[in-house]
Amino acid sequence: MAEPNDIRVIIDSHCHIASQEFYPNSFIQGSVGNMLQVLTAQGIPATKKSLCGMFEQTLQDPCCDILVSEMAEAGIAKSVLLIADFSYALKDCKLTIEESFNKHRAVLARHPGKFDVFGGIDPRWGQDGLALFERSLTEFGFCGFKIYPPCGFSPSDPALFPYYELCAYHQIPVVLHQGPTSPALSFDVSNPFLLDEAARRFPAVNFVLAHGSVSFIEECSMMCRYRPNVYMDLSGFQTFTGDRMITGVRNAVTQGLNHKILFGTDWPVFRLQGSQKNFVSVLVDEDEGALSQLSDAEKDLILHGNLKRLLQEKADAPASRKNAEAHECM
Amino acid sequence: MDIDTTIDEKIMGLIAESVPSKFKKNTITPATHLRRELGMDSIGILSFVFRFEKAFGIDLSKTNFHVDMSEIRTAGDAVNLARKVIEQSQPANGA
Repeated sequence: MAEPNDIRVIIDSHCHIASQEFYPNSFIQGSVGNMLQVLTAQGIPATKKSLCGMFEQTLQDPCCDILVSEMAEAGIAKSVLLIADFSYALKDCKLTIEESFNKHRAVLARHPGKFDVFGGIDPRWGQDGLALFERSLTEFGFCGFKIYPPCGFSPSDPALFPYYELCAYHQIPVVLHQGPTSPALSFDVSNPFLLDEAARRFPAVNFVLAHGSVSFIEECSMMCRYRPNVYMDLSGFQTFTGDRMITGVRNAVTQGLNHKILFGTDWPVFRLQGSQKNFVSVLVDEDEGALSQLSDAEKDLILHGNLKRLLQEKADAPASRKNAEAHECM
Repeated sequence: MDIDTTIDEKIMGLIAESVPSKFKKNTITPATHLRRELGMDSIGILSFVFRFEKAFGIDLSKTNFHVDMSEIRTAGDAVNLARKVIEQSQPANGA
């Protein structure tokens, strides 16, 4: 079996900092509860405590040093760190959103050139949230917006429009979670069609539907096919196992939509299953990889070209990106 | 058959038990890739870990051994890691 082609530039469009600080216990416990159901139904002697312990082991990289090492091993040149703001919906968050932004700023400064950060804010935080988001673009060096609708709002909620106006002004993309998530949150606002009004009202803003090859697969494809400013990422493809992991990605990349699809791993969510190198290999292995039947040009679009194009627009934006100031990580 | 061989076989047996039914017929060798060839997702890996704890009477959370799940890629990796845990746990378990 061939090794991943390390000459090909790879940018991971969907990662998070692997630290418990960014995940409320209620969020983790909900996800672990689902796992526990599967295990106990099979007669496996698992407990919630032991499962949480294993989950926590995957969240011990607050400065992203391990991630950078895994990126090097996998041939990933750069990763996008997405900030999900659970602080309005879940009351057991360990950090305020401003503290969370500062932690990401520190990682950006610690690993120059290795990361981009998309700040996330629940729109119900009002003017304070909007002001912080704008500072993240003009002062912190962040270059995108992340929203998490299962926290209880539609991606077309008018409260988000001022954020989208800022995104249009600064020419930055928006990544939104779509599909079910931890049972601590709402699934009824996770349908990608809920984005349609916002995508229509803000044609100058590019929206990326996360997990487009995993949840609401048909809906995501339709949105990408018919809305010029809607894209999707492949993150979460590791949800499926064995051949289905490869066929899931293959199905996504054989629809004539490769100018709209972004590679992503959702680090650290699948760390129990493998390393970044394993996951890159699933896609880029020359013989059996999910992208093996595509032309080099199509592979490049998915692995870095599409994201670069979305971020390139920022280069001409009115407020240029400034280097993140050095902050102490931890 | 020596003790080491018995332990290895027991661990390979635990891996076989943790494989999803669709992949049960696949032959397992030390080089077999757990995720790609045996369809083991995070639930499958966790099943193996919990079965291992029960079979050997080891509570990983009470040991000082740090198990990095991402290092378990092949059946051989799982066997090697399990053996290390068993070796490190022996003094604590007593003779």
